[in-house]
Amino acid sequence: MSRVGGITLADIAEAQDRQHSRAFDPLGLPADLELTATGRHKSRSQGENHRYDPQTIHLLQASTREGNYEKFKEYTQLVDARKTGYLRSLLEFAPTGKTVPISEVESEESIVTRFKTGAMSYGSISEEAHQTLAVAMNRLHGKSNSGEGGESEERILSAGTDDDRSSAIKQVASGRFGVTSRYLVSAREIQIKMAQGAKPGEGGHLPGKKVYPWIAKTRHSTPGVSLISPPPHHDIYSIEDLAQLIYDLKCANKDARISVKLVSEAGVGTVAAGVAKAGAGVILISGYDGGTGAAPLSSIHNAGLPWELGLAETHQTLVANGLRNRVVIETDGKLMSGKDVAIAAILGAEEFGFATAPLITMGCVMMRACQSDTCPMGVATQDPELRKRFAGKPEYVENFMLFIARQLREIMSSLGVRTVSELVGRTDLLRVREDLTEQEKKIDLSRILTDAHQDRITHDKKHLYDFRLSKTKDEAVLLKSKTIRTAIEQGGKAEGHVQLGSIDRTFGTLLGAEITRKHPQGLPEDSITIHCTGSGGQSFGAFIPAGLTLRLEGDSNDYFGKGLSGGKLIVSAPENATYDPGENIIIGNVALYGATSGKAFIAGVAGERFAIRNSGVTAVVEGVGEHGCEYMTGGTVVILGPTGKNLAAGMSGGVVYVLDEDNRLYRNLNKQLVSMEAVEHKADLDELRSILTEYAAATGSKKAKKILDDFDGYIPHFKKIIPVDYKEILQLIARSEEMGADPETAKIEAFRAFVGGKQ
Amino acid sequence: MGKTTGFLEYERQDGFVRKEADRVGDFREFHEQLSQADRQKQAARCMNCGIPFCQAGVMIAGMASGCPLHNLVPEWNDLVYRGRMAEAYRRLTITHSFPEFTSRVCPALCEAACTCGLHDAPVATKENEKSVIEYAYANDLVHEDSPEVRTGKKVAVVGSGPSGLAAAQLLNRRGHEVTVYERSDRVGGLLRYGIPNMKLDKLLIDRRIRLMEEAGVRFITGADVGNTVSAEDLKKEYDAVILCCGASNPRDIKAPGRDAGGIRFAVNFLSEVTKRLLDSDFEDVPTDLAKGRDVIVIGGGDTGNDCVGTCIRLGAKSVTQLEMMPEPPASRLPSNPWPQWPRILKVDYGQDEAIWKFGSDPRVYQTTVKEFIKDKKGDLKEVVLVSLKPVRDEKTGRMNMVPEEGTERRVPAGLVLIAAGFLGSEQYVTDAFGVERDGRTNVKTDAGKHLTSIPGIYTAGDMHRGQSLVVWAIAEGRSVAKEVDEHLMGYTNL
Repeated sequence: MSRVGGITLADIAEAQDRQHSRAFDPLGLPADLELTATGRHKSRSQGENHRYDPQTIHLLQASTREGNYEKFKEYTQLVDARKTGYLRSLLEFAPTGKTVPISEVESEESIVTRFKTGAMSYGSISEEAHQTLAVAMNRLHGKSNSGEGGESEERILSAGTDDDRSSAIKQVASGRFGVTSRYLVSAREIQIKMAQGAKPGEGGHLPGKKVYPWIAKTRHSTPGVSLISPPPHHDIYSIEDLAQLIYDLKCANKDARISVKLVSEAGVGTVAAGVAKAGAGVILISGYDGGTGAAPLSSIHNAGLPWELGLAETHQTLVANGLRNRVVIETDGKLMSGKDVAIAAILGAEEFGFATAPLITMGCVMMRACQSDTCPMGVATQDPELRKRFAGKPEYVENFMLFIARQLREIMSSLGVRTVSELVGRTDLLRVREDLTEQEKKIDLSRILTDAHQDRITHDKKHLYDFRLSKTKDEAVLLKSKTIRTAIEQGGKAEGHVQLGSIDRTFGTLLGAEITRKHPQGLPEDSITIHCTGSGGQSFGAFIPAGLTLRLEGDSNDYFGKGLSGGKLIVSAPENATYDPGENIIIGNVALYGATSGKAFIAGVAGERFAIRNSGVTAVVEGVGEHGCEYMTGGTVVILGPTGKNLAAGMSGGVVYVLDEDNRLYRNLNKQLVSMEAVEHKADLDELRSILTEYAAATGSKKAKKILDDFDGYIPHFKKIIPVDYKEILQLIARSEEMGADPETAKIEAFRAFVGGKQ
Repeated sequence: MGKTTGFLEYERQDGFVRKEADRVGDFREFHEQLSQADRQKQAARCMNCGIPFCQAGVMIAGMASGCPLHNLVPEWNDLVYRGRMAEAYRRLTITHSFPEFTSRVCPALCEAACTCGLHDAPVATKENEKSVIEYAYANDLVHEDSPEVRTGKKVAVVGSGPSGLAAAQLLNRRGHEVTVYERSDRVGGLLRYGIPNMKLDKLLIDRRIRLMEEAGVRFITGADVGNTVSAEDLKKEYDAVILCCGASNPRDIKAPGRDAGGIRFAVNFLSEVTKRLLDSDFEDVPTDLAKGRDVIVIGGGDTGNDCVGTCIRLGAKSVTQLEMMPEPPASRLPSNPWPQWPRILKVDYGQDEAIWKFGSDPRVYQTTVKEFIKDKKGDLKEVVLVSLKPVRDEKTGRMNMVPEEGTERRVPAGLVLIAAGFLGSEQYVTDAFGVERDGRTNVKTDAGKHLTSIPGIYTAGDMHRGQSLVVWAIAEGRSVAKEVDEHLMGYTNL
């Protein structure tokens, strides 16, 4: 359903007739029947118009390299020319006759702090390109975005230095790659990616040939093995779940703004209202024409909507519901000129994201080969040889941002507006152009240009959502404890005791974040131990770092151990429990989602989707529901009991040991990527025994004790689940190491052999 | 599409070229083709860009970048790589009328704009094109069908250069009755007589003309419209007339002694050489035109180079080529980045041959002729050369090359060939039709259109846009065909 009207059946019929007449000449004259090129994806001169073409690319590159604003204006003149089918191309400014001197308009330096670069992961683009963006945006006091590929320790450490290469925005997407406590604590803004403009509702896929060892390292995964970001966040199935994630991330770094990235689609205003109520500080409305160069073609061409629609709807809905002042609205999607940004501001945006244009200033020429690791400009590749060709500099990106700001100022001056905030929502400053074609006139823009409210409402810090963190047990009890504070400040051991109920959400996370702030690598194991009783709320122990141990006697809700970052979680039923924990669920669904390291010992059965996207945690549990260990990329999971359906779906790394006493496992296993084998190698046997020994000691599990008492008797009932590719690359690494290579070289050699073998 | 890693795996390789010692002895073509396997590797280097600069044909920094015909370069490069030559030929002819000409004489705007050329040698698109069209001819794929349905409309094309031929080809395909008038004795315009045979074998033109004749296009040679053929008759007899007479009015050098014997315009000279070769089936090599003489070629462009190569074949004693502008750099300056046309030094075949024969590049930069010195009979004996230096014009800000006092020197000269470009259209033709001309003496039309100031009279090619490349002429010819077809039929399917 179009909300802007548009072509009629008669128009469609006419277009069809035109095509028909091209092939079957009305007078029966000869016609060339060879089909010409449409240029829909890869452009062709004789096909569709693309806003980036040889002229605009050249002018954008030349102007930002030379710092030549006059040339930049030649570029924007071309891109603003009405030829590429944007809704905003149908609009022009409607000056009121009142202007302000340009000297009174908000400065370029101030405007650029509202600018961001797009969420492109380290992995999709090269280290050089990723860092160049970060350096440029940090110098301008704008923000670059990590994307979902994690960030190296070395770059996080550079934050605040003269050569700040750390991304201000840390993204949390469904793959949760590299989302650790350390990563979150280093953020100025944390962005939850709900969807991508170019492919709403779809996940991501980093092909194995781009997962070089250094990429795998920051993502906590295995070189050469494809990485899948699932379409949904496994901890978000409702707006309440999203509110929970926002709360979790706020606890993981209370100093950071939480941003939620939505895409322009019908009804996004309602979603945004929910997000505003859930406590997000920023709502990003992403348009369909930006976004990844590597999305499936069907999505690039057919999915999503222009940001003009979603942005206007979001702004209007939030104003109508009295929520607009709580949040900052941001938009992105082919913002290429000062005019684009001004229109975005008028339709409701206060912050602005740019992705393709900065890439182009760094040398991108829109090869559209981002997925094949052959980017000849060294931008979207990890190939060391091609990366040498990278010729981008932060200055080029800075020039772009400053030029956009300069152009925006000129527009603001001509419209009589002094600040970007004043421009927001001023739809009276836009009108539909008069020189439109008959076809274009059929588009009805009245719903976009509706004046939402007479009062100009933008974000106001006074109305920020209050998470009431001071009321949490973390802040009210644990962080008030002198012994715990001392242990954090000076090291040493500390203990605490807390009674929990299900209202105590995200327990331990604020404390964990304090530890990470002081000790980026965490503390020695079991430095601080909190003894809890009762019922843990949602997200118990989320993102806690090494050195923090949470012992829970009782049970816990969903999202137990989400993003576990080195800490240790131990759950067991109370001694006087009237149920058998080996047969009853004692932790909820989606435990250990996106966990990266640490230990989790659960003396009972877990709910569904246990250890999804685990990339490094060692966990023991006595049974799991459906979809266990889905998309796992690392770590070791031991399941001492029955599993639900679809175990290990999409699993590309790590190992799962299952005690399969009644031989039902093969029916529940998703065998697409993994193989099932007996546990027989000495290394495996030793690993399993040592994990179980630690587990039994920590939880007092009767089942574990029974198994250890007759280990050799139980071993034939254990099955080892390991991904096929993962196993192969581990063997290649081992072989290289045996040949004398050091561990890093061995990984690179194994990667090359593995990827080479696949081609 | 394409081999994604081809550009990393294979280096550029050009077709074999006959050695100078061998080739200067005749007027045959000297570029040979790679083997099919090597050709496929060359095509595999194409990166199938998201934005193929090679086929853009747009103005960048004041110069054309990419192919004016918008050839579907990535598509047929891919097909060549896969060895699917017949399909490659079909993709090539969607946009192109005469690949056999451009694949030999084009300066290859496609390669200058090739993305692969930014870090490495560009894809060998020009030779790939040649392999496609020559494969097509060799395998009898090149046809020009006589249309089954005729419209009854008659079109006259005046001039049989590349633009006239392209217009005639398309209009004939649409069922119009096309007659091409050519003032010289053979069809082809500059293709025939402006470009020497070793660069473009004249049999290739004959091969194409034969196909067009069989399909119904009528060619009348020796018909000088506006002179021996009346413009009024043409207007009466035809539903549309297309003027494609080129920009054949040569720029002269104004210096004392210009009336000396032995000073010729380059195109006249080259024409005479080719005509005598063709008339005698290459038996009569006109060595009398240059043998034993010191030749001065004025003009550093392609025609100047053709003169150098031709004079060496005719046995000149020495060849010097004068260029007013400074020597260009060996590689791109920062002010001239990709994908702009590279203003760099290139050594063409004639210069190669001069280096082989005389030991040095024949070009002398920042130099022109100040005076021609005659002997007693009034024939050229010597020329006075003078160096030039760039001086900024305070009013326009433009750089002018002005003579430098005291740098004059005399050199012996038995033949001077003026290859200093062309000024525009021949006035007797435009006068005959009464069409308006613009300030540069090109025939005037609305921008992007071909209709002249007189209804029913159209123009295309150099006559329309000024002296330019063969590829532009073909683009112009195809474009005028569409406009004329639409004019005649009320719609066009071209």
